[in-house]
Amino acid sequence: MNDTTIKKGEWEPKIIAFLCNWCSYAGADLAGVSRYQYPPSLRIVRVPCSGRVSANMIIDALRSGADGVLVSGCHPGDCHYISGNYYARRRFAILKKFLEFVGIEPDRVNFSWISASEGEQFAQVATEVTERVKKLGPARHLVKEF
Amino acid sequence: MLPKADFQSWLKELSGQFDIFGPKENGKGSVDWQRLEGGELPDLAPGVPKGSIKTFFFPQPETLLEFSARPKQEDAFRLKEPKETDNPRLLVGVRPCDARSVVLNSMPYEQDPYFQRRRQSVVLVGFACSQGCSTCFCTWTGGSPVGTEGLDLMVFVLEEGLYVESVTEKGERLLEGASTQRQPNDSELQAVQKIRQSAPSGLPEAMEPAPRLKEKDLMALYNAPFWQELSDSCINCGTCTFLCPTCYCFDIQDETLKGKGRRIRYWDSCMFPLFTLHASGHNPRGEKVKRVRNRFMHKLKYFPERFGPLSCVGCGRCVRDCPVNIDIRQVMKELLAI
Amino acid sequence: MSTMNQKITEELRQKARQLLESGQVAAFLGYTSGSVPMVMRPFVARNPEDADRLEWNSFCVLNLANYLPALLKSFEPPRRPNEPPPEGPLPKVGVVATGCWSRNMVVQVQENQVQRERLVIVGVSSRGMVDKKKVLRIIENRDVNSVDEQDNTLVVKGPGFEEEINRWDVVRDNCKTCIHPDPVIFDDMIGELHGDRQIPDRFRQVEEVEALSPEDRWKWFTSEIESCIRCYACRNACPLCYCPTCFVDDSRPQWVGKSIEPVDTAIFHILRAYHCAGRCTDCGSCESACPMGIRMRILTKKLQKDVLELYGAEAGMSIQEPLPLTTYKKDDPQDFILTESLKGEKK
Repeated sequence: MNDTTIKKGEWEPKIIAFLCNWCSYAGADLAGVSRYQYPPSLRIVRVPCSGRVSANMIIDALRSGADGVLVSGCHPGDCHYISGNYYARRRFAILKKFLEFVGIEPDRVNFSWISASEGEQFAQVATEVTERVKKLGPARHLVKEF
Repeated sequence: MLPKADFQSWLKELSGQFDIFGPKENGKGSVDWQRLEGGELPDLAPGVPKGSIKTFFFPQPETLLEFSARPKQEDAFRLKEPKETDNPRLLVGVRPCDARSVVLNSMPYEQDPYFQRRRQSVVLVGFACSQGCSTCFCTWTGGSPVGTEGLDLMVFVLEEGLYVESVTEKGERLLEGASTQRQPNDSELQAVQKIRQSAPSGLPEAMEPAPRLKEKDLMALYNAPFWQELSDSCINCGTCTFLCPTCYCFDIQDETLKGKGRRIRYWDSCMFPLFTLHASGHNPRGEKVKRVRNRFMHKLKYFPERFGPLSCVGCGRCVRDCPVNIDIRQVMKELLAI
Repeated sequence: MSTMNQKITEELRQKARQLLESGQVAAFLGYTSGSVPMVMRPFVARNPEDADRLEWNSFCVLNLANYLPALLKSFEPPRRPNEPPPEGPLPKVGVVATGCWSRNMVVQVQENQVQRERLVIVGVSSRGMVDKKKVLRIIENRDVNSVDEQDNTLVVKGPGFEEEINRWDVVRDNCKTCIHPDPVIFDDMIGELHGDRQIPDRFRQVEEVEALSPEDRWKWFTSEIESCIRCYACRNACPLCYCPTCFVDDSRPQWVGKSIEPVDTAIFHILRAYHCAGRCTDCGSCESACPMGIRMRILTKKLQKDVLELYGAEAGMSIQEPLPLTTYKKDDPQDFILTESLKGEKK
């Protein structure tokens, strides 16, 4: 079982999670209600659909100091708006490869499909993403500073 | 008079006092303003470097204020002046047109404390142009390839070495530190005289358009028919405005992040879509033709009417780098013909 | 003057004159020569006499599709922003188009920026356009007074020198790797269609960067865009960048800062390239317009490679085929999705 605590003095990554209202956000809620433990490093932003999430938003999260980004939506075929996640899938596939191309570490930006009933899976994904981002360390490349 | 090696060691000495910048190949195939270390000489190919020196007087971004809303900070919620982080600077290899642009820019920026402060702390060491290039036309705008307006020191490159002349007191004091200098002999003085006399001859004849343009009726120039064809090619980028030494428009905005903030000013361009955009959404200069016309009318008519000279030094950067070959020289000719 | 270019110029002038005289088009968009060698001026011929000023050579580097939406709109009667266009046929515009320019026109039609019926496209198969920066590098940045283009060479003259350069040596990178030199839509054609070219390693520039380590890739990227002055010539020269409010000008939220700080410049280039994903035809206008010599085309080329590999699609090849990012298939690749790859691991 992954360690889900942050020890005192340890660096905690800040991960912005864009969760679609109908599936992933509900799944996260279920994880909470069912008392599944996961690290407290996710900051959740509720969006109507994963298709609403644009590359601008993901990059903005990194620019503002997020160490990692997670975008999660309904499983393909189950989108509340029928096809939002299909468009999102294409968009994110291209974006992930592109960010890797310019040298952003691939594990900083993550995507997942989590349904409303998958509370345990949400906790697992949150833990997994936190682990990966922790390994990478604080974000260095696209962070705006002054 | 200084042989080349001595000039270099004098520069090296000065680099203890100043951050020295000069034109140097930038690894991308062009010559641009870079830091020169250890007495390096600037790259003096004929013509001007890629960018102008306005970036030293009017950098982008320039922090005007800093502020913080973090409650634990002592000076939170107070506006602070930014800390002075730049050393005094010395620019070596400045062409007379670029130096003149500083004088022209300080006319609208007379009351600007940030610009004036930098003007006091930057030293300009100019190199006279013995050869022009196909895109320069400083003599049209009231300048000269051997002009000293705006410079602290002027250097003529001769075969025997470098003839250095002081123009201002600041320059004189610095020149005194060049311990191995000697007085020039007659033949060297003659060589300098020759450059002074022959340099302007390679360039197009002086036209002095400023006084003639000032006399013309503004509305006649404004309504001229050639603006439409000129603006057909324009892509409204911003290349001309950003490379131009005398384009001085800026915008101010606050950048805030995590409870801290700063107010910066950065270069703006009349070609950008937000220029003259009203909060209502209306833009009196929404069409391309109006923006193109406005830029040239500002530089060639409105500015001279207010301050005297043209807001153009004839460096030719816009002509050289415009992606669609819009040529301010042609615009001047068209306007003069009205 | 190159005989090939001369023939094309004459035919182009003839066709343009015909179209303007017959009233079939209100204007013809092409190129004319300007005041500086190696740069051609995009030119709008509005009456038949103007047609004689049209010229064609290997320095016609900017994508003419860039001008079309605004040019077409300028011939419509003025109307308020929310009013629909008036009924009845609107004035047409003629334009000369090579492979990539015509593909961008297809993209513009698909994105409803331009109506196909209002265009009269005169196609020309491209031999590749010359990169002025490459010429300057060969002659070591000396001043150029004139460039005389022959069929396969360029004679470059300046104060105190004259040099003959092989034309293909200085052709633009995107033209060298182009596989679609022929226009994909046209109403009339000058010269012959040459068919698609075979270039086995056309993504080599991209693959070279892909082979680097992540740290080296970041170093390459930041050093490539280091000299960016945020003049937005790349954005303005690009026919795809027509957003009424560019993301750069958005303020709430502000996606990217307006100054030349390295982080903001990096974000500008990342997002601008990304907005062209699935739409870019590699016309090279961005690189040709850039005054600082930044090779931002490699970013969009990478996007093209990925779209081709993942979805088998190329932008603008036919009006019927939807643009890759405006469509989907139920079984699109999704191994990058964390939950899918974790499922795989469990098995």
